[in-house]
Amino acid sequence: MTEPGPAIPAIGTLEERAGTDIWRRFRRSRNARLGGGLVVLVTVAALAAPWLAPYGYEDTDLLAVWAEPSGAHLLGGDALGRDVLSRLITGARVSLLVAVSVLALTLPVGTLAGMAAGYFGGWVDSLLMRSADIVFAFPELILAIVVAAMLGPGTGTVIVALAIVWWPGIARLTRSLTLALRTELFVDAAIVSGTRPLTILVRHVLPNVVPPLLVRASIGVGFIVMAEATLSFLGIGVQEPLPTWGGMIRDGLVALRTDPHLALSASAALGVTIVGFNLLGDGLRDLLDPRVRDR
Amino acid sequence: MKTYVLRRALGLLPVLLAAVVLTFVANQFVPGDPITTLLSDRSGDAALEARLRAEYGLDRPLWRQFGTYVTGILRGDFGLSFRFASTPVIEVIAPGLLVSPLLAGGALLIAVPLGVALGTFVALRRNSLADTLVVLGLVAGTSVPNFALAAFLVYVLSIRLGWLPVAGWGTLSQAVLPVLLLAIPPIAYVARLSRTYMLEVLQQDYIRTARAKGLSRRLVVYRHALRNTLVPLLTTIGIILGGLLSGTFVIETLFNIPGLGRLAIQSIFARDYPVTMAIVLLFTFFYAGINLVVDLLYGVIDPRIRLGAGRAGGA
Repeated sequence: MTEPGPAIPAIGTLEERAGTDIWRRFRRSRNARLGGGLVVLVTVAALAAPWLAPYGYEDTDLLAVWAEPSGAHLLGGDALGRDVLSRLITGARVSLLVAVSVLALTLPVGTLAGMAAGYFGGWVDSLLMRSADIVFAFPELILAIVVAAMLGPGTGTVIVALAIVWWPGIARLTRSLTLALRTELFVDAAIVSGTRPLTILVRHVLPNVVPPLLVRASIGVGFIVMAEATLSFLGIGVQEPLPTWGGMIRDGLVALRTDPHLALSASAALGVTIVGFNLLGDGLRDLLDPRVRDR
Repeated sequence: MKTYVLRRALGLLPVLLAAVVLTFVANQFVPGDPITTLLSDRSGDAALEARLRAEYGLDRPLWRQFGTYVTGILRGDFGLSFRFASTPVIEVIAPGLLVSPLLAGGALLIAVPLGVALGTFVALRRNSLADTLVVLGLVAGTSVPNFALAAFLVYVLSIRLGWLPVAGWGTLSQAVLPVLLLAIPPIAYVARLSRTYMLEVLQQDYIRTARAKGLSRRLVVYRHALRNTLVPLLTTIGIILGGLLSGTFVIETLFNIPGLGRLAIQSIFARDYPVTMAIVLLFTFFYAGINLVVDLLYGVIDPRIRLGAGRAGGA
């Protein structure tokens, strides 16, 4: 999609390498550490949002309408007097919920389709890859906008729209990895010893495509969070009263001159989250890519 | 070469057809009946209703409507708008037709040279603090949506410093922020790629040879290395333009610029789906066309591509 996929030839499974070795290398990479830290931070905020947020995300307080940041409202209030900090924290929950849902839909489908296309070839391959081509024919966000317009705004719509946009990337990556694995000796050995294709795929191919898919998933969360925020910013994504960073930025931009705290804090939260997942993904890729590792 | 061009062009047909089908289907999804909405306070007027229904072709079976839709598109006719009664979509679109390409083109013109310069600059200073910081900035630049960056830039440049107007369209100073914001993701993207390519090229034997025969570092970088990083960059123009087209939806909405992107979003809310879908079609056709041209150019530059068996799928 936005990044050329990591081409990772002949990789061992995670278990085959000493786990401590990976951990040590991970900690040595500055950017991976930073990314990992940011991701942990956002994930904790998302999971513990109901306990962390000082106020309910829907609670309005007339005295806090466009309130300046203060002791009572650390990041101030919005147009309806809702606590910005509480809505930011709950916004993390909404964003990550969308991201996890999209991953849960696309990873199994994309992986299965990609493995089948790469392993069996023939019409299965043509059918799957041509349908992926159709999705790739559209600039990704524009396709998401069309789907969102068709289904009407809402959280479910965003999840479906982004799943449609995102699965072909996973399928293509898995396919190219599977194609490379097909020529490996251990796959030939399995075929010769009479192993059924399904067993080969699950036991021999799948473990080898998982690590690069993890990299793609981490970068993918960054993309999904960005796309969800964009749809919500345009007003065709997650709807009020649920707080979303994209929606908060839109509301905040209107009042940027007098009350910049809303737009700026929501933009910062969004930026930090997206950068975190991308750094983590880049760090993971460097760990798993032998070409970088052995340099 | 001729067969290659022909094959690639024909390969576009199913994709374009898919876009036409998708937008036609999307048009069927308009919530409520568009004619009822158009009639609004004259909803009792059966004669007017019948006339409108016939004019919009909604009284005919779906497959006939699809036929009209397809042949219309071939003639550059995208049907009638639901918001502006009896007005052709093309007339609704026309005023904004040049705005989005102007924004995207301006951004592209800035992005490629700046990105290459930035990427080359940090590649030559690998693993320095500047490299780490710039790489961090490039990750942010490629991934953070431009409306989030806009909040900071508009706040600092327009509101705090008062250097640039907050929004609007028509003067050069009003175009600075939108074009700059559109350009940031491609600048960062091009810079990341050219950094990687440059690092790879610098390890090649011919670079070592050039250095060994006594050429200056500067000459080697600019004469030998840079040239070879530009070829793979060419293929990314398609991806970049796709991002820029999507970007215009956001930037035009944000800065209140009367281009196609803002019109497409406004039309969703006005339930004027024919207008939105016509814009989506135009953007998709344009995107497909650019990708075709880039593919062909790449085939011209690198004979291995056109002689190879079609597109090697995937990563």
